Amino acid sequence: MIYLDNAATSFPKPPEVIKAITEALLAPASPGRSGHAPALKASRIIHGARKAIARLFGLPDNSRLVFTPNITWSLNIALNGLGLKPGDHVLSSALEHNSTARPLARFQKEICLDWEIVGPGPDHLIRAEDFKVRLRPETRLVVLNHASNVTGSLAPAKAIKEAIGSTPLLLDAAQTAGAVPMADYGQWADLIAFTGHKALLGPTGTGGLWIKEGFELRPIAVGGSGSRSESLVHPDFLPDSLEPGTANTHGLAGLAAGVEFLLKVGVDKVRQHEMELTQWFLANIVDIPGLTIIGPGPGQESRVATVSVVLDGWSSSDLAGALEKGYGIMIRSGLHCAPLTHQFMGTFPGGASRFSFGYFNTLEDARTAAQALSELAQSGHKA
Amino acid sequence: MAELDADIILVFSSNTKILNAEDLLEDKNLPFTLVPVPKEVNPNCGLALCFMESQKDRIMPVLIAADLVPSAAYRRLGPEFSSWDFWR
Repeated sequence: MIYLDNAATSFPKPPEVIKAITEALLAPASPGRSGHAPALKASRIIHGARKAIARLFGLPDNSRLVFTPNITWSLNIALNGLGLKPGDHVLSSALEHNSTARPLARFQKEICLDWEIVGPGPDHLIRAEDFKVRLRPETRLVVLNHASNVTGSLAPAKAIKEAIGSTPLLLDAAQTAGAVPMADYGQWADLIAFTGHKALLGPTGTGGLWIKEGFELRPIAVGGSGSRSESLVHPDFLPDSLEPGTANTHGLAGLAAGVEFLLKVGVDKVRQHEMELTQWFLANIVDIPGLTIIGPGPGQESRVATVSVVLDGWSSSDLAGALEKGYGIMIRSGLHCAPLTHQFMGTFPGGASRFSFGYFNTLEDARTAAQALSELAQSGHKA
Repeated sequence: MAELDADIILVFSSNTKILNAEDLLEDKNLPFTLVPVPKEVNPNCGLALCFMESQKDRIMPVLIAADLVPSAAYRRLGPEFSSWDFWR
């Protein structure tokens, strides 16, 4: 199998991740709930994950990092917790995933949120000045997909934050955490949402949200926290306020091991490797007759290792099926939960075929995929 | 007969705070233990930080400098608990 669907879930996981999850499963796990030794061990596992993520993002205070089941929850905690009001203005890029687009669309419908979408330029990239010129006194938030899960376009997050000044920035780092060096983001980012199962090399069921000092998010769920147990009022301090219920200790053990693996290898080296594969792949498919790259092309550096294509005569799903059946290559077809992006890119509703490389892919994987695309293009299949 | 050294027990609002305190004190090789929050005096679940009163001048400045302020503090001498002024 050649696995090129790392933008959905990374595979394989480092052996350290499997070992950490297995060891966690072999012990009782009630983090923060009891005073016995196994409970303390579980607490330390989660604390280890918190410290590892804090190092990855350069966070000044690990208590303002909350763990969630996935990034959709992280983004919903942020969007629902900020207390958006009727008439508030929110800017987002056009390359948003449904995990932000759907909550914003619901606010638009239910509370008349004024949601304005900022499109990419002709080079498929998002520009900081396009946000700056759209700021208004009533702009409450800017939502930014750090990198598109369709086009691979990498947004200039720091430049956008500088351009919008004190307006809060909610950064969706689903495609970048672990794949793009972010060690200074804790110094300037307001809200960073991430997931554990993609480039952070952890398991599904893990994610989180960084909340800068000064931001208060109203919890969307309350309950057991292991703290202030005598009170019926949910704790108002982080991380407890946004972590109701027993945490996913087993998953977070794996996430911690995945992040430690990345910190040991170096995210800069991960990025260098992934970009070498991506640029090689782009350069070797760009001239395939009938093939269109949906996003930044060869040589464009502001991107991640996700390449979507449309091939004349092929539906995105037929192409994915042929790649799996004929070559053992796993990719993702369709709309990638990002209809807005496909609308802006002109690939709605048919979608595209997405190849996404990860740290464990090789140049041989990219060669095989490029060769397969070339052969399928010549085969003259008609959808 | 030597005077008994009392235990100081610090309860923190969150588990994260107590684990950050643990990291900090371990880094500085200071003597302490984590113990279950004593239910005689505090209803919280989880753990508390415990150290001998004779160590307070070494430990307290470290915690205060890191903004790790407990939500409650107790002095235990034998079976007897009393409130303890963290700031003194």
